[in-house]
Amino acid sequence: MEKSRDDFIIALRSAFLKKGTQQRFSLLSLIFFSIIFLILGSFNFKAIDYVKITIKEIIYRSSFIVSGPENFLKNNYLIVNSHLKLYEENKKNVVELNSLRRKNLSQKITILENIKYKKLIDDYFIADNQVVAKVLIDKQSPFLRSIIINKGSKNNIKLGMVVLDEGYLVGKVVEVNFFTSRVLLISDINSKIPVSLQPGDIQAIMSGKDKQEGVLQYVRDKNLSEINEEIQVLTSGAGGLFKSGIPIGTIAIDDEILANNEENKIVNFHKDFSQLKYLKIVSFTKEKISLDKSSKNDFEVMGNVIKNTNEQQETLRILLEQKKIADEIRVKIQSENNFLRNERIRSKKESNFLNNETVRLKNEILNIKKKYQKNKIQDEEIEFLKTNLFYGHMCRKNLINNLYKVGTPEYRKCVLKKGLKK
Amino acid sequence: MNKIPQNSIIQNIQKYIPIILLFISVLNEFDFNNLGLIYFSFNFSYILIFYYSLKKSESLGYVYIFIAGLFNDVVVGTPIGISSLMYLILCGVAAYLRNITLSPSLIKDSIFFLITILIINSLLFMYLNFVFDYELNYFNQIINITYTFLLYFLFANLFDFLEKNTLGSRRAG
Repeated sequence: MEKSRDDFIIALRSAFLKKGTQQRFSLLSLIFFSIIFLILGSFNFKAIDYVKITIKEIIYRSSFIVSGPENFLKNNYLIVNSHLKLYEENKKNVVELNSLRRKNLSQKITILENIKYKKLIDDYFIADNQVVAKVLIDKQSPFLRSIIINKGSKNNIKLGMVVLDEGYLVGKVVEVNFFTSRVLLISDINSKIPVSLQPGDIQAIMSGKDKQEGVLQYVRDKNLSEINEEIQVLTSGAGGLFKSGIPIGTIAIDDEILANNEENKIVNFHKDFSQLKYLKIVSFTKEKISLDKSSKNDFEVMGNVIKNTNEQQETLRILLEQKKIADEIRVKIQSENNFLRNERIRSKKESNFLNNETVRLKNEILNIKKKYQKNKIQDEEIEFLKTNLFYGHMCRKNLINNLYKVGTPEYRKCVLKKGLKK
Repeated sequence: MNKIPQNSIIQNIQKYIPIILLFISVLNEFDFNNLGLIYFSFNFSYILIFYYSLKKSESLGYVYIFIAGLFNDVVVGTPIGISSLMYLILCGVAAYLRNITLSPSLIKDSIFFLITILIINSLLFMYLNFVFDYELNYFNQIINITYTFLLYFLFANLFDFLEKNTLGSRRAG
């Protein structure tokens, strides 16, 4: 018993304290180093922060270089893939462009009106600092879904700034170094964002899920299944971290989850977070309203713009109505035209048929007539032959009389008159 | 003019293969630890560190492992020092196993490996959850541990093969 405990201690000591060949530090000293790093990391000393930031800068750049070949291959694959899908995408884009052009004008009006009303309630935020950054590292971890961007405190990046991609919310800045920053994606499980669901203006909190999806955690007031269309998820602006109205994603109402699980609604993000390349880092501030002459002018100008746009929209609406009516008439005329054309074709066919029938009947009559004539001649001949049997001797020329020679027309007449003389 | 001995360069490269693999696995964006699949992920670094600490401790220095852990923390975004601590505990367990083992067997190694990764993942989990208030997915962790354990057999054989066929020449020289 004593011996086995000694063996255990010896083996343990040897493992943790003994420096092996080509080992400069013992395992235990390095473990202590790690613990010291962990403890120091939890304090916010300036010197430690600088050391941490320097280490991070070096490692981010190294990681960017190491990931170079992989990114090169990935980018090439994406380029080839997009080339292969070019034709299909173009067709789709043309359709989408047409539909978006139609929506654009009314959207413009809504935005302007929205700005006007938000200014009235003193809730209008404008972007006061915008920085465009490139994604350096996109290493997904099982603990934290984040990316590294190539802009840091040198470029006025601050903690908590909003990160957008093409206007869609991507995340927020959670760590700032000199030349780099870390962005916590909204798909991270630790990211909690106050959101608003439209239509219905339902307030909720959205958390990240494992993949490119979020999940609604606290849905208040209404039941989502009452809404019979696709639900848009936007930032609500509650808490003051994000400005309100930044699009995040959608909830498909035909989703089975919606029907089965009332508490966890899946939000499909607009953006694919594995394909992020360039991002916009923005901070928002409230626009100051001063009731001086220039701001009044601004309001007036904006009011005029809204008025003009409303007029344009009205004109457009009338034109669209006219077009609709013209289209309806055109469709009606076209259908009538088609009907008449079909009728004409049908009557033509019928007259052709009747003509053919008449010709056929004429021929038939002619044939019948011919047959009748033939029969009549035959009847006359039979009659003659019959009469000839009885009265032939009374008309035939012989030695004692001077009557008619057989076969002559006179003979025939005589026979038919039954031998009677004139 | 003296020629640069090509063999020595190749041998040097071969000597540093485990270290290169370790640093690529922690620095590269592509990570087996998070492949984006629901039911598949494994920790390649754990397998590499455990195997080389157990079989060829001179190939993978503790300092390199410590630095790789720091790199991993910075890249992944976890508190600096936590991965180093886990990697070094793994090394310690491997070193202890090496000391007490008279006849090595893959089954025994893998069972020891499983127990170790269960312990270090629990430590990691507790530390991140209770100290840093990270919200973690238990199910993903279990999947990760299971596949790391199962793939240890495959990678152990693969590294054995590599050692015999490529690095074996180094020892002979």
